[in-house]
Amino acid sequence: MKPVSRREFLLTGAAAVAFSAVIFRSAQGMLKDGQQYFGRGLARPVDGKLPPPASGELDPVAHTLNRLTFGPTPGEYGRVAKMGVAAFIEEQLAPETIENGLCNRVTARFCDLWYEPLMEQYDEDEETLTPILRQLTTLRAIYSNQQLFEVMCEFWSDHFNIDPGKGDCRWSKVGDDRDVVRKHALGNFRDMLRASALSPAMLWYLDGHANEKRKPEDKANENYARELMELHTLGVHGGYSQQDVMEVARCLTGWTLRSKRKGGGMFANAKGRSKGKLFNELGEVYFRPEAHDGDAKTVLGQAIPAGLGAGDIERVIDIVATHASTARFLATKLCRRFIADEPAESAVAAVAQKFTESKGDIKATLRALFATPEFLSSAGEKMKRPFHYIVSALRVTNAQTNGDKPVLQFLEKMGQAPFRYPTPDGYPLEASAWHATLLWRWKFALALSNNQIGGTSIERAKLQRQLGGDTALMATLLNRRASADEADAFLKSGDGLALLLASPGFQRC
Amino acid sequence: MLANLSANPDDKRTLVVVFLRGGADGLTLVVPTEDDHYYKARPRLALGKKDTIKLDEKFGLNPNLAPLEAAWKDGDLAIIHAAGCEDTTRSHFEAQDLMEHGGFVAGGWLGRFLRARGPARSPLSAVALSPTMPEVLSGAPSAAAFQRIEEFSIGKKSAPNFPAELRRLYEKETGALRDAAKNTFAAIGRIEAIDTKAAPENGATYEEKDGFHQGLRQVAQLIRADVGLDAASVDLNGWDTHFTQNLVIDDNIKSLGSGLASFRRDMGARMATTTVVVMSEFGRRLGENSSLGTDHGRGGVMFAMGGGVRGGKMLGTWNGLTREMLEDPGDLPVWNNYRDILAPILTRHGANAEAMGKIFPDYALKPLEV
Repeated sequence: MKPVSRREFLLTGAAAVAFSAVIFRSAQGMLKDGQQYFGRGLARPVDGKLPPPASGELDPVAHTLNRLTFGPTPGEYGRVAKMGVAAFIEEQLAPETIENGLCNRVTARFCDLWYEPLMEQYDEDEETLTPILRQLTTLRAIYSNQQLFEVMCEFWSDHFNIDPGKGDCRWSKVGDDRDVVRKHALGNFRDMLRASALSPAMLWYLDGHANEKRKPEDKANENYARELMELHTLGVHGGYSQQDVMEVARCLTGWTLRSKRKGGGMFANAKGRSKGKLFNELGEVYFRPEAHDGDAKTVLGQAIPAGLGAGDIERVIDIVATHASTARFLATKLCRRFIADEPAESAVAAVAQKFTESKGDIKATLRALFATPEFLSSAGEKMKRPFHYIVSALRVTNAQTNGDKPVLQFLEKMGQAPFRYPTPDGYPLEASAWHATLLWRWKFALALSNNQIGGTSIERAKLQRQLGGDTALMATLLNRRASADEADAFLKSGDGLALLLASPGFQRC
Repeated sequence: MLANLSANPDDKRTLVVVFLRGGADGLTLVVPTEDDHYYKARPRLALGKKDTIKLDEKFGLNPNLAPLEAAWKDGDLAIIHAAGCEDTTRSHFEAQDLMEHGGFVAGGWLGRFLRARGPARSPLSAVALSPTMPEVLSGAPSAAAFQRIEEFSIGKKSAPNFPAELRRLYEKETGALRDAAKNTFAAIGRIEAIDTKAAPENGATYEEKDGFHQGLRQVAQLIRADVGLDAASVDLNGWDTHFTQNLVIDDNIKSLGSGLASFRRDMGARMATTTVVVMSEFGRRLGENSSLGTDHGRGGVMFAMGGGVRGGKMLGTWNGLTREMLEDPGDLPVWNNYRDILAPILTRHGANAEAMGKIFPDYALKPLEV
């Protein structure tokens, strides 16, 4: 067997990776599994000097770490300061070049399920996959060195949101995460959109599987067509009409999947038939010419001739992916994620332009975004969302964690557990949606500081010693030197670590 | 918009959802006392007409629900029989799943209701009195599962100066973060001011060892403390009475009746803005089985109390228990869809027509006059 490259490990080569995971598991043995379950043996090795930030403000290094990652680990500031912000951005834009052994080890025990073919995932108990997806996503955010990649996976998971609580999605969302979100997170937008359009989970979640036209009086199901333009591409004011929604829905008639779960009171496509095969595998997506509207259509002013059949979807994806409104809509959302809740028009325009020029190249688009003056001048002006907050607290304290239910329960209290958002618009990016979560952040800070979270532990004294005392600990937590007020509160509070994790400075990014 | 406790200080509305898990036997809770088919199908389990409390010309209330008679007479309690969801599998999991999600959709209907109202106005906008979050609250902007109110306060024990020092730092902030912290401290203050040991108001009493009672008691304490509670979910388990039903169901019915009545008394005038809805995943088969129990059926019973319900009468459709009216294999059908019962209540709790489309998508509502 040829060696598996990191890129293959990360993005493709399901069988090879599953195999290597098995080898790894047998080598590590049961003891390691046990340790992992209880959140032990997973500390990030800390050695050498861990120079904290010296500036009283968030400097460009600290700012870049705050925005491109789920928060720095101890020592990360010094590493990035040494290599320079530009080199760090390039490193993060090339995740396949980043050493990621710890994360791979921590998540190894999920790999068997994770890389299973969809058909086999459909054989799992209906309560099995979603909790694993939540835990795995949390662990990757905490332990991965490919931080920007994980941040973008979160971004696209919101953008193409699917709640696995709906019907078949409890089996097919893992495949969507793997084959749509993670496969294309730093790739090309058009490719990701196409993959999403024919993803079994999306076909189920937005009812595409039931969109058909067999008789002249059949009306297409518009659910996916509308969200495709409203949420995935042009945006609600992007210039499409109700007529366009209906025309796109007509183009997409006939696509379905072999599903497992009843929906709307009937078993939809319990047995499928395509290309001479008698039965499709569970979860298999296929096109039924007899359920497709073969007449001519017009989408956003562009004619789609009659008779293209399964080719209609390619035309639709091309039209919406390259629409000027799509560039602006995505640029606005990306700027909202990385710059400000209400980003400046100049930044949005620059990012949209690069998106168009690069034909939807996500890396090129992000590179342009990070180069805008608006990005550089926005340090500390955003508020972390709950997931970002929790992950950053676990990272900065070098916590060992299994990312299991006790952590998830805090995220549920704050309303941002992974893959629990019910509607297709995804978790809000704006801070105003999250202001009511402060109480739970404070309680999390206290619980973490006092090792009261099951499956999670920190070694506070050791961390303090390694960093070299209170001043360095405070600067590491805040990503800048503590103010006089913060230092004072740190000492007086009785629990300085919890205090700073709960403080406004740690909510900001 | 700011999540703000004081954003709408007049909004004191709270919706309390009580879920009877296991499939509560509606025909025992609310007895069709004039229907011979009921007595023929249940020779050993049926309740005699004289043992029930007369509700109207067709129905009598289970005697263990006697504490609710006052609410009924005051017009503050509505009862809907033959209520439930579309599920025909008669599986607890499937039916609860469907009923909590509110259709074949993601998220819970209560979660979507809260989400449609905008950002949570309080860290305690929604609570569940349970160890884990029920599906009905899935997707809420903020929802906390808890068992004791004390869980909400922040640790003064390990670090006595922690809250004061934290407050000091947030007071030096500007803008939204400062306001959010101010609201949060206000909520904590109100929670910590709750005397959880205090006697309920208006002479109400809750059973000390009854988890359902203690859940309602704490909901009442949160409502009265004005912490911004929009919705609460409370479970009452143990309704799966396949075997010797009368031995197990009576205590549950007592707990339900006295708990709801105590809550109403405790809340007093606040009941006008507080609605309690009681539901179960399905009712049970009309015919009793050979082990003095009943098996999974379809239509059950729902209650709505307070919050301006049009009570004191049986609402919705009732077609009787003749053989041709039953659903195979002999079940009371669902003539009243739970969504048509919930919709008018959610409207009173602030959901407009657009929000209702999101709360119950893919369903043409025919709201009852609840």
